[in-house]
Amino acid sequence: MAENTIALLSFVLTLMVFSYLLGDVPLIGNLYRIAVYIFIGMTAAFTLIVTYEGLILPYLQDIQDPSTNWTTLGNRVDIYIFFTALLFGLLLLLKPVKSLTWLTNSVLAVVIVVGAAVGAVGALTGTLFPLLQATVAIPDNLTADFSALVDTLLIFVGTMTGLYYFHYQARTNADGGVEQSFVGRGFRHIGKVFLVTALGAIYASTVLTCLTILTERIGFLFQFGA
Amino acid sequence: MGRGQGVGAFFSALVAFAVGVTVMLSLLLGDNPALFGDRPGSDELARRIALPGDVLLRLIVIFLALSIVIGIANLLFVHVSRLTSGKFYSAVLLASFGFTIYWYVTRRGDTSLLEAVQLPIESALAALLFVSLVHGSSRVMGKRNDIWGLLFVAVVVVVLLASLPLAELAPVKAWSDWLMRIPVSAGVRAMLLGIALGMVVTGVRAVLGQDRSYRG
Repeated sequence: MAENTIALLSFVLTLMVFSYLLGDVPLIGNLYRIAVYIFIGMTAAFTLIVTYEGLILPYLQDIQDPSTNWTTLGNRVDIYIFFTALLFGLLLLLKPVKSLTWLTNSVLAVVIVVGAAVGAVGALTGTLFPLLQATVAIPDNLTADFSALVDTLLIFVGTMTGLYYFHYQARTNADGGVEQSFVGRGFRHIGKVFLVTALGAIYASTVLTCLTILTERIGFLFQFGA
Repeated sequence: MGRGQGVGAFFSALVAFAVGVTVMLSLLLGDNPALFGDRPGSDELARRIALPGDVLLRLIVIFLALSIVIGIANLLFVHVSRLTSGKFYSAVLLASFGFTIYWYVTRRGDTSLLEAVQLPIESALAALLFVSLVHGSSRVMGKRNDIWGLLFVAVVVVVLLASLPLAELAPVKAWSDWLMRIPVSAGVRAMLLGIALGMVVTGVRAVLGQDRSYRG
């Protein structure tokens, strides 16, 4: 596609999306929706292409290539896996058949449990252990540098109280209502300070990212118009 | 619940437990010969432990790829059925889908369609998000007129001001750096640890059959 055509299409589509800011004006209001539907159709097509080219096609090529064996059983394992996956897909399509619900549920169970197991192991080894190690790690120059000691302590307190904020424990009082202990309430408040600060910073970073993109888009519109 | 359904539910839970425990053990113990010491054959043992997990993961990856194809086919069927009732936007979606596939098949490796259509729309939508975010933050103080709303807006303002390239704002930049290094780092760690703990608990509950979300 010629560079001018790409620029013209980009210009028109950017204006179509920005027409959202004008609200429900007749004709112009539809331009935003048209751009969004073009986007959905194209995203679906690219997803299909990437799935086919990146996953299904290489897998089918691996099945035919004896040099890609990853077990002692040869490429037969890949063939079994492919047909089992196909069978799983077909079984899911049979979900409306009541008498086969146990079978479709078993397929869903395999998919969900494998995802849950991978997520749990990944969270354990990839997030939980490294973050806990980083939080309780003591810097080498801690005794020499007082500010490093304070910073380390603040991070430790912030992480622990922030984590405590997600934990809700209360006891029943004499009136039958529930109340939190004074210490628990205090920990939750300290944790909330750290969490609100973190959320504010994340929000500001997102605003900055979007502002950068908006500036680039407006710059492009002016550049094209000139 | 009838007897047949009860047996079916038990079968599903049993399959879930067996598969979940196999994958967890494979991922934790497999491909790590150091766990089995220096004894001979530890490499082979570690590889064998990893094998069931690898097989199940490959199976799920291929199954998910096929599910994506089924999902896109479903999207197309829904919009084709809407065409009969004269929905214009469905025609736009189908035309966009068809044209992209045609472009890919006839001009392999040409990414100009991506540059001309996909990227501008994505960028413009992300730019529109700026308006929503600024509108949202202006409403925070109106809706939550307390110390937490004030703290949130104060942090947002400090981080935004610190991003300006002005020498006069050097003290604000120092505050922002400290905020990012200590309280924000601690808060994000707490959130990540909370998410990780939640994932571990949810995963173990699913494996043990306590959380049977697969029952339709």
